[in-house]
Amino acid sequence: MQRRVLVVAAFVLAIGGGVARAANDVVIGALYPMTGPNAQVGNDARAAMETAVEIINGNHNLPMLLGKGGGLDKLGGAKVRLIFADHQGDPQKARAEAERLITQEHVVALIGSYQSATAATISQVADRYELPYMSADNSSPSLNQRGLKWFFRTSPHDIMFTQAMFDFFRDIGAKTGRKVKSVALFHEDTIFGTDSSNAQKQMAEAAGIKVAADIRYRGNSPSLSAEVQQIKAADADVIMPSSYTSDAILLMRGMHDVGYAPKAVMAQSAGFAEQAFIDAVGPLAEGVMSRSAFALDSAKARPAIPAVNALYRARNNKDLNDNTGREIAALIVLADAINRAGSMDEDKIRAALIATDIPGDQTIMPWKGIKFDSTGQNIAATPVIQQIKGGAYHTIYPFDVASEDAVWNVGK
Amino acid sequence: MGTSITRRRRQELIIGVGLLAVLALLPLPIHDVYTRNLIIITVLFAGLAQAWNVLGGYCGQISLSHALYFGVGAYVSTLLLTRAGIPPTIGMFAGGALAGLMALLVGWPCFRLSGHYYAIATVVVGEIGFLLALNWDWIGGATGINIPYRRAIGDSWLWLQFRIDKLPYHYAALAFAAAAWLVAWKIEGSRWGFVWRAVKDDPVAARSLAVRIFPSKMAAAAISGALTGIGGAIYAQYVGYIDPDSVLYGQLSILIPLPAVLGGVGTLWGPLVGAAVLIPLSELTRSYLGGSGRGVDLMIYGALIVLVALARPQGLASLVGVRVRAPAGADDAATA
Repeated sequence: MQRRVLVVAAFVLAIGGGVARAANDVVIGALYPMTGPNAQVGNDARAAMETAVEIINGNHNLPMLLGKGGGLDKLGGAKVRLIFADHQGDPQKARAEAERLITQEHVVALIGSYQSATAATISQVADRYELPYMSADNSSPSLNQRGLKWFFRTSPHDIMFTQAMFDFFRDIGAKTGRKVKSVALFHEDTIFGTDSSNAQKQMAEAAGIKVAADIRYRGNSPSLSAEVQQIKAADADVIMPSSYTSDAILLMRGMHDVGYAPKAVMAQSAGFAEQAFIDAVGPLAEGVMSRSAFALDSAKARPAIPAVNALYRARNNKDLNDNTGREIAALIVLADAINRAGSMDEDKIRAALIATDIPGDQTIMPWKGIKFDSTGQNIAATPVIQQIKGGAYHTIYPFDVASEDAVWNVGK
Repeated sequence: MGTSITRRRRQELIIGVGLLAVLALLPLPIHDVYTRNLIIITVLFAGLAQAWNVLGGYCGQISLSHALYFGVGAYVSTLLLTRAGIPPTIGMFAGGALAGLMALLVGWPCFRLSGHYYAIATVVVGEIGFLLALNWDWIGGATGINIPYRRAIGDSWLWLQFRIDKLPYHYAALAFAAAAWLVAWKIEGSRWGFVWRAVKDDPVAARSLAVRIFPSKMAAAAISGALTGIGGAIYAQYVGYIDPDSVLYGQLSILIPLPAVLGGVGTLWGPLVGAAVLIPLSELTRSYLGGSGRGVDLMIYGALIVLVALARPQGLASLVGVRVRAPAGADDAATA
């Protein structure tokens, strides 16, 4: 009896050891701000990426890419292992940490990084050492325009986000017969607001929509009443704000105070996406629209979302959002490319990334799919438009992933 | 007494050259890029802190706008490279010259204020520079400027670009730090140095001895700003990307003087000692504790600064037995 136990134990050990040797871990370096003002974003990203690793390595039988079976099957069931590094939002530190991950931790690929400025140096290091950098959530449009061979981005960038708004105007106009004829731009004066309004101005002109007002204001103003009067005077079909939280609250309250009810508000996410905004203005937020890369409520079209969200919730006690959804998607796309490469050779992984063609319903994202152009940008990343109903955002566009019909008051 | 000072200064120079040789050889047995990066940043900050020390230490003008000079140097050399194709080995001196000029422009109104008022004014000026760069599209605005690795040129000293090799950047940073040290050494022994220290100790007494205060401050500012600008240009070339948040942000105006303050303000060795302690500490705590996301690294870093300030207000350099001025002066008196 004892002997049999010993034999079984030896057998198990032999198999276990054999598997461990055959399936070397696939090590991926993740760079995020884990300390400093954006530490919360970094720690949420960590929980999201660990959720993605759990999905890849464990057997959860989810209806999505790498959702079934454990590990990477073409690498003998190899497990994905993440090593996190803290860049504190500093490009120099991001560069140093990327080099450390590559030369000391021997990662096969990098993923990151929230702030676009840190992605600028991380992707440069990746390009010099010739291994892939997967941008999960950097939104600056310039990042993929630098001729880097090893840069890949699954997420839409800021111009694609703005494009989605004007695509929505066109399609809702065709559907209801009530077209957008004029917009009022309202933006804060740093890079975010300026770039956003510049893109909106160009796209409005291209679509033949009149810019009735273009109002630039100082961010975090104590009062926006003069600006609100301008908006009221312009009385455009759609007000398009690019504002952070406190200004978003001031705008909505200010319009209410002067007795102006806008027909439609289409926000560039930011402050309007914050729960604090919805809590502060309550019923005034009803009907406000914004863009997002992720739609938690698109479970009908993306059946894996509830289970993935539950796994994430177990780790971090909150629902997936715009950032964390994108982070999970990016890591799974990267792991899938490594799996398809069937090797940890960087050139083979790059070839597999270039050949990526994943339909949207294999992911948790509401996108058409994942397909990289020659600059490494995912051109099938179609953002969604969401609208506040009953104090929460619901997806209204594209129509095939929508969970609610749009409330469209323009032209009424 | 004169010979004693000369002897001491010659000794310092010999130690300096010896240290330069040690630092030049230091990275050779080290092959991992992470440690090499650490040494480069440390040496660069030793040079930057020494540059600040010229104005803040010897002349006693607490400037909190050095990020501006650093940023001007970084931007000028980078713009010359990306827009005009001028190699950064030339561009860094243009950047240094413009940064020196900028320091004069800042000094012109600000030196009319004294003490804390001067320090506060420089904070404001630094912030203006940051906001201007943030909104100036021609220089990249908030998107910043990317310095691409030009494969057609390859690794080159003229263009100060090296794909993976870190050693050349080490020598560039070391040359910069050595130059800053040499300037400080030269100042210590020169008439200017004595005049500046008089301005620092008691402006009223200095004026009564026919010291022209305003020109003295302006000269110190120009030298300090120009050196800082050259450091900024080397940093830009090393990191390969600049934006207002990384080369002009206000915190940098604190990080540059910090090694000098910790090591010993107005001393020859203070900035070097301070940088050698501070920079590795901040980098290592971040790398090995920062990933946990609990901010332990910053707590340890902060606690150390407080401890040093409490235990050694005159600076770390006095702790490691390096001669600071006060005891040296006493020696001179004894031998005279």
